[in-house]
Amino acid sequence: MATLIAQQQPTARPVKPTTQLRTTLWLLVSLIVVAAFWSVQIKWSSLADFPSQLIKYLGLMLFPPDWSKFGEAFKATILSVQMAWIGTILGIIVSFPLSFLASRGLAPRAVNAPLRFIFAVIRAVPEVVIAILILSVTGLTPFTGALALAVGSIGTLGKWGYEAFEGVDPGPKEAVRSTGGGTLALIRWGVWPSAAPEVLSFWLYRFEINVRASAILGLIGAGGIGKMLQDNVQFRNWDAVGMLLVVVVVVTMAIDQISGAVRNKLIHGTWRAPRRAS
Amino acid sequence: MEHTAADIRFSDVSVTYPNGYTGLKTIDLNIPAGEMVGIVGLSGAGKSTLIRTINGLVPITSGSITVGAHQLNGRGGAQLRGKDLRELRSNVGMVFQSFNLAKRTTVLNNVLMGRLYHTSAWRILLGAWKNDDVELAMSALERVEIVPKAYEKASSLSGGQQQRVAIARTLAQRPQVILADEPVASLDPPTSHVVMRDLQRINADLGITVMVNLHFLDLARRYSDRLIGLRSGEVVFDGAGADADESVFENIYGRSLTAEDVLDGQAVL
Repeated sequence: MATLIAQQQPTARPVKPTTQLRTTLWLLVSLIVVAAFWSVQIKWSSLADFPSQLIKYLGLMLFPPDWSKFGEAFKATILSVQMAWIGTILGIIVSFPLSFLASRGLAPRAVNAPLRFIFAVIRAVPEVVIAILILSVTGLTPFTGALALAVGSIGTLGKWGYEAFEGVDPGPKEAVRSTGGGTLALIRWGVWPSAAPEVLSFWLYRFEINVRASAILGLIGAGGIGKMLQDNVQFRNWDAVGMLLVVVVVVTMAIDQISGAVRNKLIHGTWRAPRRAS
Repeated sequence: MEHTAADIRFSDVSVTYPNGYTGLKTIDLNIPAGEMVGIVGLSGAGKSTLIRTINGLVPITSGSITVGAHQLNGRGGAQLRGKDLRELRSNVGMVFQSFNLAKRTTVLNNVLMGRLYHTSAWRILLGAWKNDDVELAMSALERVEIVPKAYEKASSLSGGQQQRVAIARTLAQRPQVILADEPVASLDPPTSHVVMRDLQRINADLGITVMVNLHFLDLARRYSDRLIGLRSGEVVFDGAGADADESVFENIYGRSLTAEDVLDGQAVL
């Protein structure tokens, strides 16, 4: 059978679109990958030693870990979590009003644009760099770490906030305007009820991120578990380092689990993530 | 509840959207206080535009509209804005096709949103409504028979109940006028009748002017004293609902009628 349809004149067949642009982009990406490998001067020989070295150091750290300094480690962990907690709270206090001002439709464009730019700049700078900039003023203290996390939080919370506020259902906003409500009424009753669960869950998520980041800030001397880790690596107390790793991983995972459950409760109304329909 | 009514007068009103689309063409209408007006027409005929010009949600391009003591003007004329515009809106309730409730808060809070114009900043912020307003909201809920659900989340209600909460929200405004933009388009036929009867009773008992956009012509004929037919932004019929026969509707719609133009016809099909 030559044709599938009983038709005398076949309709014109479309020409296959060219893929020149796509091909060029793929070539470019491949070139960048090759150039990157070449420029970092990888010592491929050391890669062969890597598995054995890894096993050696894991053995030194974890078989067995040194639990004698567990009390001190636990206190240091609490300090790190406090750093994260204070940083998150300060970040929320500053970013919350700012993200309303950064939302289109809730404040003039002339206010939106510079705030969005500031959020973007902050997000481009890692917390460690922020801490180094701040410590010239406040010195190397846990509070410096908290401040660095607060500034970093403003960048992400500000952006997540205005995206959530702009993304709400326009219906209730229209309803508030139709009753004669002003901007405050619009924000409080047209926007906030719809955006609240999402925004609260962002705050918790940022706390989870800050818990992890606080350990890293300790490495530059801001105190807490990171500093203790750094000190023990310096003196090659591998068994103590192993204990610290266990503590960090367990505490971080525990906080992630609790915070994740609360976030699910806020968004979905259940403590565990709902199973996706298959 | 006491309500004062206001006449609505359209003088030579036109609306052209920024993209050049003509919403309304030289509309002249006089709607005395207390009328129940149905507005029919195909989608795109200007029903929604007509209703939204009355509370300034859609600004008019030329002409003027007076609503009681307030006047809305076209470009070049004095513009109603800020506090004055909000005062006009506080006198005009609006019901929407998709209910437009804040779904994650309580039914009562949604009704109290009708009091926002009269509520101070700190009370708005904290949701600390005045006791009188709470009682007013409760009596508005009473009228639509949803008082027992006052403290439930709006999202837990059925579509018909949500629309009746939206009607209660407009009642809490103590409005002179209620505008309803396709209020039953998202509802099933029996529920549509319930909602239309609510609007009819509010009009009859409280003397509030009610203007309803409707797609189904049997609903329009049954529930409105006066029927306005729009076609391409122009009024092509203005008269008693009872006078609108099949030929009138064919003129409004610009085509012969089908079963889909009738709500109860749809239920049968």
